[in-house]
Amino acid sequence: MRNTGDTAGRGTWLLTGAAAIIWMLPLIFAVLVSFRPQAEPVSIGNIFFGSRITLDNYAAAWNIAPWGWHYVNSILFVVGVLAVQIVTVTMAGYAFARLRFAGRGLLLVLILLQLMIPTAALLAQNFATIRTLGLYDTRWALMMPYWGSAFGVLLMRQTFRGVPLEFEEAARIDGANWWQIMRSVYIPLALPAYIAFALVSISSHWNEFLWPFIVTRTEEVRPLTVGLNKLYSTTELGALYGQLMAGTLMVIAPLVVLFMLFQRRFLESFASSGLK
Amino acid sequence: MRTSRLFVLIASLALLTVLSLSAAAQSEPIVIDFYYPSAIGDNVATIMDRYVAQFEEANPGIDINPVYAGSYTQTRDTIQTELNGGGAGPDVAVMLSTDLLSFIEEGHILPVQSYIDAGDDPAAWVGDFFPALLLNSYDADGALWSVPFQRSTPILYYNADMLAEAGYAEAPKNRDELLEIAQALTLPNGERWGLLVPFAGGFPIWMFQSFAIASGRNIVGDTFTDVYLSDPAVVSAAEFSRALGTEYGVGPVGGSVWGDTPTAFIAGQAAMIYHTTGSLTRILNEAPFQVGVGYLPSGPAGADGTGYGAPTGGGNLYIFNPVGQERSQEELDAAWQWVTFLSSPEVQADWGAATGYVAARVSAWDLDPLKSLAAEKPQYGVARDQLAFASREFTSYRAIDTQNIINTTLSAIISGAEPDAAAALASAQEQIDALLAEYK
Repeated sequence: MRNTGDTAGRGTWLLTGAAAIIWMLPLIFAVLVSFRPQAEPVSIGNIFFGSRITLDNYAAAWNIAPWGWHYVNSILFVVGVLAVQIVTVTMAGYAFARLRFAGRGLLLVLILLQLMIPTAALLAQNFATIRTLGLYDTRWALMMPYWGSAFGVLLMRQTFRGVPLEFEEAARIDGANWWQIMRSVYIPLALPAYIAFALVSISSHWNEFLWPFIVTRTEEVRPLTVGLNKLYSTTELGALYGQLMAGTLMVIAPLVVLFMLFQRRFLESFASSGLK
Repeated sequence: MRTSRLFVLIASLALLTVLSLSAAAQSEPIVIDFYYPSAIGDNVATIMDRYVAQFEEANPGIDINPVYAGSYTQTRDTIQTELNGGGAGPDVAVMLSTDLLSFIEEGHILPVQSYIDAGDDPAAWVGDFFPALLLNSYDADGALWSVPFQRSTPILYYNADMLAEAGYAEAPKNRDELLEIAQALTLPNGERWGLLVPFAGGFPIWMFQSFAIASGRNIVGDTFTDVYLSDPAVVSAAEFSRALGTEYGVGPVGGSVWGDTPTAFIAGQAAMIYHTTGSLTRILNEAPFQVGVGYLPSGPAGADGTGYGAPTGGGNLYIFNPVGQERSQEELDAAWQWVTFLSSPEVQADWGAATGYVAARVSAWDLDPLKSLAAEKPQYGVARDQLAFASREFTSYRAIDTQNIINTTLSAIISGAEPDAAAALASAQEQIDALLAEYK
């Protein structure tokens, strides 16, 4: 594993370690502050847990919002988005990779253009659509704008194009229909890309704030980010960093655990799908 | 094999999602959607729910739907998006008192003057509000549009223990005393600041108004076109604001950060701070020392025309009746009922005691729990009494643009990036005059 006698190896190891620590600093800060007593702000020479380790910040943060609902909603939100996205990006990705039809290039460009439009610019339009559909203030409203994914379409198109055409032809000769070809040829080969896409999709929607905030107003259908916003807003009267950090850790915990559990799988997927 | 299992998993999760979604549609007699951006920590929703329950019990035909809508900015963005997207927006909302003009110009809100005039004793009703808190409620024609709800002013907080230790028995009364005490209590290397004023963070205008008023010239006049930036008193206030950090070193250069200021004060890292009355309850609850509260000190000692003073701030109640989304008369009447209730002396006395916002009704101070609280903790009364000297919060036509110009200019001056305060303020004045020329 680690060859300590090799200076070049040790240098790399030190550099990576230093970089890792720098990247971890915000997280370390959050953990320290969340367990510190509220009345003892971080100051010069006093940056660790303070006089005692306390769970008060977590209790206070927990009382500020119906977190149980928020967890349920965030999970439904990311799962509901991902489940539909998998279907749409698979279909569209295959169509753009393998089918020839009039206007294919133009359509692809139109879909990619979507990547360049900031979500905020579409807020009012999307809101109008959701309202017309009668879905304002429902969990459907959270998910619906994300059911198509330009990034996912592009990713699956590139991945499917990398699958040798001979595989599909061989399956067809064996009598497989399109659905069977997808199931036994394309999808298994694209599994790393799916996993990478799932991670990107889950983490970005888990962190989505503005849209859920605007399109809902009942606490019971709002996701975690909107609950966290309550803690953030108290800074108007003086920053309660302890509560804020406790809330932040509560919100990111599921993602952190998910990543730790599937860390190797994710890294492999990112490596093999060429994503960064 | 593995793929098919994956599909089953995804399919069942999707099904689960579908099953657990529920439409939230209901139709009640009259529903008033109420948006409130109240930043007072963990119990705001509980307090609001209590008011809603009280109101609904007294008014059986009306249902209040309270929605916590984030910060003021987020609430405004939400309302704007909903109205632009064809939605109805709130029926009643708490928004900044300075949002009045833009709401009027966009046709979002209903003036409440006609409701007041139709009341039993209009003059008595209006007269029961502290006059300073109504200064931002009138349009150019003198009609009242919004009703004070969660209002505040900046006040001076001081660590009475530290001051006593250094031989000062009383709060500073003018600029010279302020500076003297601040210098005496500053410890080197940022170990302790003598005076923290939260100018940092890009929005120094409110705090700066305090210093401008103390120097004898508020930066805004009585109309929506009067802006005074190049006035000598304002220039001197800007130079003093900067000198606190750059020259006297009683606080960090450029001022402190808004949210960190009360925290530093509570922790004993600052002897005095300027902050909103909205922080009063938290500071009194958490500070392990004798907390003193005083009027904002006046300008230079002995100078003419200077005195106590502070801008007002905070949120008012607005009744929404947006163009294209007009409400029925019954809905508007119900909204007014709710506004009357929230601004009533009883609710104001409770809300003021729970939060530290200054109860806006004079008679609220004769009611419990506020009455006994103010008797027990005289600090609450200081904030109220300072209202006698309070003036208008900055607003004008094109308020977003003019505030931007002022905030940018002041940030540059106070941080020391712009050495010539007089020239910078004169140039800001010119830009604003050009913007407002068409309204004069």
